Formats: sequence, C-alpha cells, structure tokens
Amino acid sequence: MSKVLTVIRKEYLERVRSKAFLVGTLLGPLFMALLVIGPTALGNLTRSQERTVAVLDLSGEVFEPLAEVLRKNEDNHVKLRRHETGPQAAAGVEELKARVLAKDVDAGLVIGADFFAQPQLTFYNTAVSAVVLRDETLRPALNEVLREERFQRAGVPADQREYILARSEWTTLQLSAAAEAAQSADVGIIAAITMVMIIYIMVLLYGQQNLTVVIEEKSSRMVEVLLSSLRPEQLLVGKVVGIGLAALTQVAIWTLAGFLVSVQGVAVAGAEISLTVFSPWLWLNFLVFFVMGYFLYASLYAGIGAMCNSVQDAQQFSMVLTMGMVIPILLMMVVIRAPDQPMATILSLVPFFSPILMFMRVTVSDPPIWQVVLSWLLLALTIWWANKAAGKLFRAGILLYGSSPTWKSLARALSR
Amino acid sequence: MANPAEIRELPAIGEPLLLVEGLSKRYGETLAVNDVSLRIPRGSIYGFLGPNGAGKTTTIRCLMDIILPDQGTMLLAGVALDRRRRDRIGYLPEERGLYRKMTCQDQLAYLAQLKGVPRRESQQRAWRWLERLELGSYAKSKVDNLSKGMQQKLQFAATFIFEPDLVILDEVFSGLDPLNIELMRDLILEQKQKGTTILFSTHMLAEAERLCDAVCLIEGGIKILDGSLAEVRAAFPFQMVRAVYRDGREPPADLPGVVDRRQDDGTWRFELAPGVDAQNMLAPLAAAGPLSLFAANRPTLNEIFLTAVRRQRESRTSDRSER
Repeated sequence: MSKVLTVIRKEYLERVRSKAFLVGTLLGPLFMALLVIGPTALGNLTRSQERTVAVLDLSGEVFEPLAEVLRKNEDNHVKLRRHETGPQAAAGVEELKARVLAKDVDAGLVIGADFFAQPQLTFYNTAVSAVVLRDETLRPALNEVLREERFQRAGVPADQREYILARSEWTTLQLSAAAEAAQSADVGIIAAITMVMIIYIMVLLYGQQNLTVVIEEKSSRMVEVLLSSLRPEQLLVGKVVGIGLAALTQVAIWTLAGFLVSVQGVAVAGAEISLTVFSPWLWLNFLVFFVMGYFLYASLYAGIGAMCNSVQDAQQFSMVLTMGMVIPILLMMVVIRAPDQPMATILSLVPFFSPILMFMRVTVSDPPIWQVVLSWLLLALTIWWANKAAGKLFRAGILLYGSSPTWKSLARALSR
Repeated sequence: MANPAEIRELPAIGEPLLLVEGLSKRYGETLAVNDVSLRIPRGSIYGFLGPNGAGKTTTIRCLMDIILPDQGTMLLAGVALDRRRRDRIGYLPEERGLYRKMTCQDQLAYLAQLKGVPRRESQQRAWRWLERLELGSYAKSKVDNLSKGMQQKLQFAATFIFEPDLVILDEVFSGLDPLNIELMRDLILEQKQKGTTILFSTHMLAEAERLCDAVCLIEGGIKILDGSLAEVRAAFPFQMVRAVYRDGREPPADLPGVVDRRQDDGTWRFELAPGVDAQNMLAPLAAAGPLSLFAANRPTLNEIFLTAVRRQRESRTSDRSER
C-alpha cells in the first residue's frame, strides 16, 4: 500500500507542480467560456457582414417602407438595391436571377405586384447561408411593413396597435424537490452544458495522460526497474489515482473560484449565474460522474498504453475508447429535448455514456433516484471490469518491445 | 508489518544466500529456462554466464517476480521469495532508464521509497550517494542534463541505495566505454567489501573471470556447469596450447593428445587431453614449420565454456544413439 502511495504522490506532485497545470488552471475557465458562449458570440459577429440584396418591387409600394424599417432597426448590414425594370415583369425576374448568379449581389428578392393583398415573395440566393439573412432580417422587416399598411387600411388607431401586437411574457423556473431555490431554466441549461463539458474535457485530457505516461515509461526503459519493486497492478493504480487527483485539484480550484465569483454575482449571456443555487444532489452527481468517468477511461487508456510502444501505435485503439466519450456529446440534444423518454433513460444507463448523459439528465430534469443510483452501480461494475482488463493488458504488454500490437494480440491478452 | 529482523537474518558469509531449485519457464514452444538450480554464497560475486539468449534474463525476471516461472522454488536466506523479501534485492536490468524530467536527487529518493525506505531518509541517502559519486552539484538538475556515464552512475546508485542484501546486475557493462567499465568495476568491488552479495549476469566471460568468485554457465536454458572459480578450473584440468606459424600454414593433422583444435585469426588453439603435458606439443609443431608463437597455459573461462558446451552436446548425442 505504501508503494502505491509513493507512486500516487510522485504522479500527483509532478503534475500539480508543472507549468502546464498552472496555465491550464488559469486558461481553463476562459476556454470553457468560449466553448459555451463562444458560438453565440461568434454568430453575432458574422451576422454583421454586409450583404447586398437586389429588390424587384413589382408593387412599387414596398421598397421605400422596407428600407425605412431597416434603417429604423439600425440593421445596416443589409444593403438594398432597387432593381429597375421595364414593363415586362418576367424579363425583370430573369435579369435579377442573372445578377444573383453573377454574384453582382448576394441575394435577390421579388416582391409580388399586389403585396398588401397577397404578400407573396420570391427569394433568390446562391449560398445556403443567405437563409439566415432571409429569416432574421428580411422576413421580420417585411412583416412589419405589411402589418403597418394593413393597420392603416383597416383604420386601426395608432395607440391601439401596440396593444393588439401584445405577446405573452414568460418566466421559467426550474423546481426540484431537493433544491429549495428555483433557478432560471436558461441559466440551468448553460450551467449544465458547462459542467458536462468539464467532465468531458477533463476525463479525456487527464485520462489520455495515462496512456502517454505509460508509453513514456516504456520507451524510457523505466518499467523493468519499477516492476522489480512493485506489481504491475500497483503501478497502474498509483498512476491512475495520482493523475486523477491532479484533475480533481484543478476542478476544485475552478469550483472554488466559481463560488467566490458567485458571491459577487456575474452575468453570462445576459443571465445571472450563481453556483450557490445548485443543489447538493447536483454537486454530488457532478463529483460521482466525474470521478467514476475518469477512472473508467483512465484505466483503459493506461492498459492500451502498456500494450503499445508509441503514441502512434496506440491511436487506433485509443480512438475507439475516445468514441465512448464523443458519442454522448453528440446525443446530448436528444437528452435535453426529452430527458425522461425511454430513449434518454436507456442511453444514460450505458456505463460508457452515463458520466455525460445521466449527469445531463440530472441537471436538466429530475430523473428518479433509482435510475441515478443504478447508473452509479453499473458504472462501478464496469470500472471493476476495466481495472481487471487494464491489469491484464499491463501484465501482458508492459515488457513487450518491438512489435506493434494488433486487435488480435489485445484480445489474446484480455482472454488470458 | 513483518519483523524487520526476521527478514534481515542472513546466513554466514560463504553459506548460500539465494537458492534456486529446478526453475523452468516455457514460452510457447521454446523452453527458455530448463530445470536450472543455483546456489549463490553470501558475500560473493556470482557470475551468471552464457551467450545472448541463453536464458539469463528470463531466470532473473522470474527471481524478481516480473514473470511467473512454470516451476521451481526460490529461497532467500532460507525463506521462499515473496514481495517483501524481494525488497531486499536490488535489480539493475539490461533495459534500464531513468525519468528524464526528474531531478537526480528526487529520482534516487523515489526509487529508494519504492523499495521501502522512508521518505525523509530516502532524500538524505540520495544526497549521500550523489556526493559519493561526485554528482553532488547535479542533485537538483534534471537527468536530461547528465552525460551518459553520469546517468549510469545514477542507475547504479539507485540499485544500491536501499542497502540490499543481494544485487542482480544484468549485462551491466554493455554499452559502457572502458573508463566507465573501470569505474563500475570499482563500485561493484566496493559493495562486495561491504558484504553485499552480487549476481553478475553477462555474456562477456573475460569480464566475469576478473570479477567473480563463483560462476554458473548456462546455454540454451540448461545449466552447463557451476561452482567456485577454483572448482570449475579443477573440473577442467586440461591445458591449452596456442601456436602461430610465421607463414600462416596449417599445423599437422595428427598431433598426439589433442582433443579439439580451433583456428581464430591465424592463431591455432589446441585443447589437450587431461594429463597431457603441453611441452610434448612443441617438437611436433616446430617440425612442421617455423613458429612465431608457442604458448601453453590453463584454459580461460571462455575456453572452459566452449569445452563444456561441446561435451554436453556429445553426451546428449550419445544418449540418443544409445537409445
């Protein structure tokens, strides 16, 4: 036991004292923030690219009000150009299409002759991305033009228009039996995705370190000296635990910092985020799924590392293992949309997926406790199996030099 | 915890410290080690000799529990080897390395701790060893900054730092320059003076002859002979004659009393039958032509080994033909 502790201590200190750990701890939250709110922010950036739309206004009454609405909305990334045409409407449309094809303009819009009675529009584009322009800018603007004109024609007084256009106002609060405080569901989703991402990234990042460390130990010819002092299983456990503790330390630092910042109160993407509203149940699950997910993947990565002589050798095997973490990320939306449907329930009980999917369910919904506990048990059983398998791979592979392993040799080592 | 005194109770100098009985290990079709028995006296340097692939490393790995033997018993100071007793054995494998990014002192201390030395003491011992090997100024540098010779000293220190009762050195001189070989030899002899028993495994028989008190020769997984150097020599009481002709001609075919003859770089070597006086060879050899060299001496370990292997093979063939 004291030998395992010696290995744990060495692996842990080596990591925690490294520059990479310091940089990772400081830059991690930044990276995480980019990952969660980055896509939205980036989307906002790209929308402001200027696009030109040629408008063939057959009614002759819409172009001016449309330009007026866009000006009023300060939507200055769309440039309207009136497409002049002769008496032949069909010829005008052909000309417009030719301009779009020639990339003279980014898109073309044909407004029907009797727009206010029959609001028919035809939109021409070459790039699929133009639909964003159509849906987010042109459609609402033209709807407004249409509404204003019809209000006018129907003789609705100006002070009644706001009243008629009223929308229902929603406040969404997520309640759960365990948590006293209610939180906004939007914040819940952002926080859930952040925590899932932490599990995903940390399990992969630190899990794969086990693979590289074992391969390094093999290529530096350290293993035989080590194996004369302790059993392969002890070496394996010491490594996995030592590296895992380093990962846990990093997450603990982030969480603590998160709490400290929460006391000040921060707004992310317009919503107040506070770690203090999460229930102890959620925190417990975060810890359990993070730790168990790490152990499952780390020991298998270490086992693969023991069979291989180089990281390149290991790639074909480790990729399959990595898939176990990537697939649930792809399935995340299924779980967010219907967290309590049989599909989500079954997927979240698969041990290789549950660190991501069951935890996701715990954050966005309130699955029955027996399901959560069942997933813990299944995960624990799988870890037990993985440890045995990794131990076998370790014993079989750690002194193998030269030949690169095949799926067959891996299977042979496992069946021993 | 076991009583440390029980583990440290060692036999008297010269009595067997490590006893191996009937050790066998098979890899698929090949029998890597075939019924090998060893008797290693305490306080000696014991040469474990044989060509590459003879089964030396496999035997050692069985001793260190790195691979499991199929058969055989292994006793250290009369007690079956287990993990705790293996903590009294130092092992410097042929495939040896160091953590390149670790400092010298931490490295030594870590390897000492893995053999059960308490943490604080391990740091002190590491420091003392570095001083002794004139590496004191490198205590806080990473192994990467060390020359190859210095790294070898460090590996050597790691093997002895926990004051083992028995040390196994596997091909310890391979890849060393003559200066470092000299240094290693001094270190080994120094440890022997302190009472450490050393199992010295090598295929370089000339080196072994200079260092060892007792030897065991194995080939093809089978023990060919063993015993103290004096016993081994006594068991092969023949003389060797070396001769070189000035014009490089061949010696006569019908020399009396010659059991075996070999040519090696223009030098002819004759193994004489036991009791044949080497002086009797001079006249017939000189009669055949002008000699530039004639020498008679007792056989080297290498020559004994070749003879023993030949006899073993002959006896096996005759066994088969008798059947």
